[in-house]
Amino acid sequence: MFYIFFAKELKAALKQPMIYVFFVLISLLTFGAVVSDHVSIGGSVGNVYKNAPHVISIYTIILSFFGLLTATAFFNNAALRDYANNFDEILFSAPLSKSGYFFGRFFGALILSTIPLLGVFLGIIIGSYLGPIFNWISPDRIGGFQLMTFVKNYFIFILPNMFIAGAIIFGMANKWKSTVISFVGSLLIVIGYIISLNIISDVENESIGALTDIFGLNTYNTQTKYYTVIEKNSLNPSLTGFLLINRIVWLGLSVIILIISFFSFSFHKKNKKEKALKKKIETSNTVFTLPKIQQAYTIRTHWDHFKSFFFINFLSIFKNVTFKILLLFSLIILISNLISGYEYYGLQSYPVTYKIIDTIKGTSFFILIIIVFFSGELIWRDRDYKINEVIDATPHTSLISLVAKTLSLVAIASLLRIFFIICGILYQLGKGYYRIDLNTYIFDFLYVDLSSYFIFSGIMILIQVLCKNKYIGYFISILILFILDTLLFAFDIESNMMYIGGRPNLLFSDMNSFGPSLKRALWFNTYWLLLATICLSIAGLLWNRGKMESLKNRVSVGLKQISTGYKIFFLGIITTWLLVAGFVYYNTQLLNKMPTADEIELSQVDYEKKYKKFEKINLPKLKDINYFVDIFAYKRNVIAKAKATLANESDTAIDSIHFNIHQNWETEILIPDSELILDDKELGYQIYKLNNPLQPNQEIPLEINVKYLTKGFENNNELTSIVANGTFLNNSTVFPTIGYSSGAELSDKNLRKKYGLPKKEIMPKLQANCSTHCMRNYISNGTSDFTCIETVISTANDQIAIAPGTLVKKWIANNRTYFHYQIDHPSLNFVSFVSGKYKIKKRDWNGIALEVYYDQKHPQNVVKMLDAVENSLTYYSENFGPYMHNQCRIIEFPRYSTFAQAFPGTMPYSESLGFIVNLEDEDKNNVVDAVIAHEMAHQWWAHQVIGARMQGATLFSEGFSEYASLMVMKKKSGTPMKMREFLKYNHERYLRGRSGELNKELPIYKVENQQYIHYGKGSVVLYALQDYIGEDKVNTAMRNFLNEFKYKNPPYPTSLDFLEYLEPQVPDSLNYLVTDLLKTITLYDNRIKEATYKKVNNGKYQISMKITAKKIRADSIGVEKNIPINDWIDLGAFGDEDEKSLIFQKRVKITKPEMDFSFEIDTIPAKLAIDPRRLLIDRVYKDNSKTVEEITL
Amino acid sequence: MHKLKIENLAKTYPNNVKALNNISIEITNGMFGLLGPNGAGKSSLMRTLATLQKADSGSITLNDIDVINQPEALRKVLGYLPQEFGVYPRITAAQLLDHLAILKGITNSKKRKELVNYLLDKVNLYEKRNKSVKGFSGGMKQRVGIAQALIGNPSLIIVDEPTAGLDPSERNRFYNLLAEVGEEVIVILSTHIVDDVRELCTKMAIMNLGNIVYQGSPQHAINDLDGKIYQKIVSRDNLKEYANNYTLISNKMVGGQPLIHIYSETNPYEGFEQVKPNLEDVFFSKINTQNALV
Repeated sequence: MFYIFFAKELKAALKQPMIYVFFVLISLLTFGAVVSDHVSIGGSVGNVYKNAPHVISIYTIILSFFGLLTATAFFNNAALRDYANNFDEILFSAPLSKSGYFFGRFFGALILSTIPLLGVFLGIIIGSYLGPIFNWISPDRIGGFQLMTFVKNYFIFILPNMFIAGAIIFGMANKWKSTVISFVGSLLIVIGYIISLNIISDVENESIGALTDIFGLNTYNTQTKYYTVIEKNSLNPSLTGFLLINRIVWLGLSVIILIISFFSFSFHKKNKKEKALKKKIETSNTVFTLPKIQQAYTIRTHWDHFKSFFFINFLSIFKNVTFKILLLFSLIILISNLISGYEYYGLQSYPVTYKIIDTIKGTSFFILIIIVFFSGELIWRDRDYKINEVIDATPHTSLISLVAKTLSLVAIASLLRIFFIICGILYQLGKGYYRIDLNTYIFDFLYVDLSSYFIFSGIMILIQVLCKNKYIGYFISILILFILDTLLFAFDIESNMMYIGGRPNLLFSDMNSFGPSLKRALWFNTYWLLLATICLSIAGLLWNRGKMESLKNRVSVGLKQISTGYKIFFLGIITTWLLVAGFVYYNTQLLNKMPTADEIELSQVDYEKKYKKFEKINLPKLKDINYFVDIFAYKRNVIAKAKATLANESDTAIDSIHFNIHQNWETEILIPDSELILDDKELGYQIYKLNNPLQPNQEIPLEINVKYLTKGFENNNELTSIVANGTFLNNSTVFPTIGYSSGAELSDKNLRKKYGLPKKEIMPKLQANCSTHCMRNYISNGTSDFTCIETVISTANDQIAIAPGTLVKKWIANNRTYFHYQIDHPSLNFVSFVSGKYKIKKRDWNGIALEVYYDQKHPQNVVKMLDAVENSLTYYSENFGPYMHNQCRIIEFPRYSTFAQAFPGTMPYSESLGFIVNLEDEDKNNVVDAVIAHEMAHQWWAHQVIGARMQGATLFSEGFSEYASLMVMKKKSGTPMKMREFLKYNHERYLRGRSGELNKELPIYKVENQQYIHYGKGSVVLYALQDYIGEDKVNTAMRNFLNEFKYKNPPYPTSLDFLEYLEPQVPDSLNYLVTDLLKTITLYDNRIKEATYKKVNNGKYQISMKITAKKIRADSIGVEKNIPINDWIDLGAFGDEDEKSLIFQKRVKITKPEMDFSFEIDTIPAKLAIDPRRLLIDRVYKDNSKTVEEITL
Repeated sequence: MHKLKIENLAKTYPNNVKALNNISIEITNGMFGLLGPNGAGKSSLMRTLATLQKADSGSITLNDIDVINQPEALRKVLGYLPQEFGVYPRITAAQLLDHLAILKGITNSKKRKELVNYLLDKVNLYEKRNKSVKGFSGGMKQRVGIAQALIGNPSLIIVDEPTAGLDPSERNRFYNLLAEVGEEVIVILSTHIVDDVRELCTKMAIMNLGNIVYQGSPQHAINDLDGKIYQKIVSRDNLKEYANNYTLISNKMVGGQPLIHIYSETNPYEGFEQVKPNLEDVFFSKINTQNALV
């Protein structure tokens, strides 16, 4: 019996096209991802083989979500087919075995559901063979095959995932006998994933997150997050750790669901509960008479029709079960997002309104689903309920009915949105946050969501009207919504005029409101709203009244019956739309033509091919620079001038000067007695030939005039650095740069290969005693050294304009305010120009003015920021040397970017980074302190000493600044366990970063500007170093190094120079640390295997532990090998389970991979640990501690 | 006096079925019965009259409305109850009728309410007016359908198989209602139930395979057959033989044995007994031209 139903299930489905369609689709998708870099499934694969086991696993799991669609169809069909066909009564009266029927169908559907996913394997295999043959990708990006990869992925992911999904869907379908409910079941799985994604975003909670993801994508990602390239290329997924638990938990639950479902399944129809009809005997004595009625068909009637249609449609959605379920789901997501908050290093930000809005936007997906689903529902409802003929034969205009349907969709979506906003406001109030920005809620809703709802509804309604049934309509809607983007991108079309509902992202900032994108967003809205209206008018014309007709017939009838009024209206709206489209096109494609991603790539290639030959030419240096910057914030224009001296400090004559001109900046370069001999407008490259070559030690003046004039609006990426409030520019974005810029080259190694470019040297190799390379530092790249800089900057009278340096003069002229700043000490030519409406908080510290320029809405953290500046100044001037400026400023800028940056004495700081973080909980990591301390440290490490443009350069700008910041934190907070909390994030950053490395990992002394190395690893290894050799020793080395190179003209120092200052400070016994921490990639795999204690006679406790310690060396692509260990490592005991109090610590020499230790301590420990403060880099740190067991004698 | 004129109306479906084969009828005030077996093309004709289906050729005019080219104008004076009448879930009978009344241009909300109540009372559903229509029985739904067809002052009422699912008392009620309005407007009643037509209609047409095979008054048709219908109870085994030898009109089971009606100009004897023809005989004689066993 089982077999009969099982086989029937398979046969029936194999006769239908769906399974083949999805199989082919998945194969094609995977095939595309293998052979092209344009198709990606869950991110690019980088350095890893295109067919690496890790890649296959990721594809498999992600496509499982796609497979969920087919699974839903198969399981739902298996459960409901006989009911849907009203065949149940006939079938169930036959003598059937219940289990045979039930499980036959279930397992039939299960096997079917897994079939489309086998397309992943087919796609991989075909792609890997054909890709190299047809030269789509180079053969060295394809690895070998392991049959096991497929087998394991099938049995670890595909089969269990479909089983789990099936149990849920099949169970729900059997219980509620509704297709809609089955879809709800599959949504549940998607929700599990989304919630898990939220939870997992903080490292703290990843174990819970790994379990909540029903399909195991996050679980697998967590398990493999530190995988190196080699591991990704070779390791198949294995059932261990989280993944094992995840599979067991969910499979177990599914089996339970299936069993419950089986036992509650019955062939007998449930007796429908008949509601006991309360017979209200309303003996109505009313005599009804036929009123004298009048039928009127005027404009007013149309309005009445509209109202009535609207009401009926709205009601039908509102009372719909699916709607209620979707509402519930989105509410769950919203609440889970709100509660998990806005984490950053374990800190939450204040629930400012725009953050809440961002969270609410997390539910947009559901609203979109509601629109798609109910567009079909509303269009097909009359037919489904067989009332269409009556409605269709009434004298209403089709357009009115369709507009009412559309607007009821819009109303439902809006209602949901407003409901979510209310939830958000309640959350804010609940958190004790009262600066509720109602305007922002309202305008964001009006500008963004309301119009989106109308646009999508209008388009979806047309699709449904054109289609023959609603499922085809759904299919096309989904295709358009989700596939169109990918398709357009693949064809290199990047215009919001093509993406349905496309509009620039409106990012609200407390400082700058909706910012510069508002205007063009409104234009794009108009464009799309008109198009949606056109869609509706077409739908009104083609709406099928009465018997279903072919589209062709409908078009011919529609055209025949079109009324003059309709024609005029239609032509009017088309004309308006064309005008708007033309205007938008003019602005975004002609006036502000933005290159597409492919075009940018190509111009990068061109640039390199044409001008790379000039990379090493002799450059003159900029000296004594005067900037004149006029910021017209409200018009978003900037007019600026730079006057400087060009000096030839080399020993050969310079006959020409090269400039990179910025796109969109009108630039005029004035060099006396020179001529422009090359002017490449496309790539922005100019060469001026000096009629009299500049001789060594000779100088000439240079003047550059630039203008940025905002014209109309752009498609995307509006320049957010010039805005009404909070303009923030720096000299290298405003003025042309001198000489060939290797930073503009294409860096992705696979792309370079594709365009036939040689391997890129990201940084010149580290050299001792270097000559030419050390003449340039990595910031100004040879175009200037430490020099005097002055800036005259002007802005509107209600704003303050700031550039680095001391304010020497301020005046008003031409109805504008002018500020004249002078940098106190010759500095790097790295200058910020800022203008905004600021409040200022000042404090004096030993004659240095500490200032915070902030937006009036963000006063919360300002005092804390001043404290942080003071703490940093204290520590750094004691340990490194004096601060060299008379002022120290923090300036807030809008959240279009989220970073802080250090210019001489001046640090612009994003509003979202520190100004809104909630610092009230003193126990938490104070990320604002940390970031300020980091930027402050740059005033020494980068601004006083800067590395030669060579590997390792960022070690002593970024690496040292991270270290310095940790030291400030350590001094302030003190406890070692709190520092471990903080370091955790740096460990994470490093380990994750190296796992995603696209090129090669280098030891830190050769770092090539990789952030995960200089920030992540830098802080970790330098922290460990100071712990082993002493903070003062490290600081002494740094101070001596600084003193030697402070503000010194070239040659600039390299990391090897620093090591010379470090080595005398390191005792011989710890010399190995310099190698392990700085000069190599060294990791540890430390574990504690046994942890026990016993009471001893003297009232003390003896603790014993068995540890394993492995030391691992990795090469640049992640090949690891164990090396002998002979290291000092801490052992410790914690007084509590949470590892908050370290009650005992002892540094021991580990000489063998497995060792036993015992110590006597005063109190009973809770846990014992190896490396309890996490000084060493250990990929799996969790196993470094263990709860003790008592040994009783 | 309203006048509906159908001329040379033709419709062929894509599968080459001729649903309407050059049909021409003229209908004036009163009840008009359209009889025909399933698949005769009744519903196609009804839908075409109700502007819900396009004809390939021919014309329809109601008074001075060109139905085919001015569907909007016809809809204003049309009451239509389709063969399949469903309702929205989660909406009450009163809400539904109110919605439809608005669509039919009754804008005065007070009058509309009175009208809805009046109609609900007429179809005996006033007490259930605030119940969701979804929970109604088939007959109750059909009554809602009848009520909606009477909204406004339609000059053309088309009811397609209206009595399906109604019990006898409901049916009578419905007929009375139709007869009441039918004096002043055109009511077209399409059905395959002969009794309906006999009881209600003064004029009728019989349709078969897309053609009008008879047009006139029911009584006239019956008179034509007077003295030409004979019946006999036969054994089942001989049925085929009778079908070959006589113009068989119908056979039905009476007490477990076939009772056959035949058409014959003269008395065939052989145990046949002359009977008074009824409309059923008319119906079957008109459609059963192939002399097949039905």
